Amino acid sequence: MKFLCLECNTAMQFKEVATPDQGSLTALFECPDCFAEFAMHMNPWETQMLKSLDVQLGGKSEAAQPMQMVRSFLNQQNPDNLTSEVPTVSTEGGGKCPFTSVVAQAFQEPETTGPVWTPEALARLERVPSFVRAMAKNGIEEFARENGHTEITTELMDTARGNFGM
Amino acid sequence: MKTYKDLPADGGSNIVEQVTQQANRLQQRLASVRHTVAIMSGKGGVGKSSVTANLASALGLRGHNVGVIDADINGPSIAKMMGVRGQRIDYGADGVKPALSPLGVKVMSMDLFLKDDETPVLWEAQTQKDAFTWRGTMEMSALREFLSDTEWGTLDYLLIDLPPGADRLPNLVDLLPNLGGTVVVTIPSEVSQLVVKKSLTMAKKLLNAPVIGIVENMAAYVCAGCGKTEDLFPSGHTEEMARQFDISLLGKIPFDPRISIAADEGNMFVDQYRDTPAGQIFFGITDEIRMFFERKM
Repeated sequence: MKFLCLECNTAMQFKEVATPDQGSLTALFECPDCFAEFAMHMNPWETQMLKSLDVQLGGKSEAAQPMQMVRSFLNQQNPDNLTSEVPTVSTEGGGKCPFTSVVAQAFQEPETTGPVWTPEALARLERVPSFVRAMAKNGIEEFARENGHTEITTELMDTARGNFGM
Repeated sequence: MKTYKDLPADGGSNIVEQVTQQANRLQQRLASVRHTVAIMSGKGGVGKSSVTANLASALGLRGHNVGVIDADINGPSIAKMMGVRGQRIDYGADGVKPALSPLGVKVMSMDLFLKDDETPVLWEAQTQKDAFTWRGTMEMSALREFLSDTEWGTLDYLLIDLPPGADRLPNLVDLLPNLGGTVVVTIPSEVSQLVVKKSLTMAKKLLNAPVIGIVENMAAYVCAGCGKTEDLFPSGHTEEMARQFDISLLGKIPFDPRISIAADEGNMFVDQYRDTPAGQIFFGITDEIRMFFERKM
């Protein structure tokens, strides 16, 4: 997909990914001539389609982990087949920039505004496999914010889990 | 107004470059695989995975380095048939190490990632509603990762057990531009062949790879007591289909309940019963495949 500034007849340039809202990702583009900006809101299915391609808007230097897409997005995995030491996959001529990190980063709110985790909830979060922990944490915090909770308890985690269809 | 082609690159979104890098990585990984063979049927329930597992093991028993990918992402069965369920997937220097069957065949399957027998393949998403819009892409990305993120090492043969249906074949063109060939599995019934013919047509039309031949599974029943062979279905249709599509009939595997029993136990029929009629035919098909590639070289 490419974007054209009709005013300048110039190709618009990707600028950044904005905070997703309920699964909808927003990409900002800017015209390099007139600096006009526009936002492209992707619906949840388009966002998911992008995720399923295992790519990141704008690219990123961070190297991918082996089986990044499968391990990040497969629900209910066998916990026994995971190892803690995960090497990164060489990016030389290969895939990089897992979309998961975009989502995680984009969902990231300043810590001061986030809901507070109870020790029990944090302990439970620690049991989530490391490679999806950040995504799970951000997803639960987002769920808490959307539903007006200032504290994340294990009960709220259960509710969020049910809401995610897990 | 400038058109799509007038605009340089992709405006910095970098998507095309990343997809290209994924393809390059896949190509690099498969550079050490001599022959990639897709096993397909079009029709479910013809015993394609069982045939794949036994052919892979027979190739291994013939001294080749062999790998198998279970491309049936939603209904993986290869891991159980090849006795690798429950094996831990460890990380190597540049990917994950595949599971290893008792006969030394390297295996990668979604089954190795799933929590338990009852767990279906369900992808994390904001909503599962209208999942048809992205689920197929997710599955092909998973298959791409199986191919490119597994430390296959040097392989003589990599067999890809495709899911039933012809709809995934076009995706293989992008994933495996250097596919060596396809083997089509059918059973003698006309209903099966009606569907398999569609897959054959699609394979011949879309894949840049030859059809190595057809395997007729469950071709007949061999009496365990007297050794007499009886047809299970009216025979002759597979020969006719092979003539129609101008491809080889690689072999007709008789029905033998021990094939199923061995698969359920994670044992390889071709290893345990290599001297039975079915065992001999599996090795015969294996040799046909080997000769196919030797003739090409």
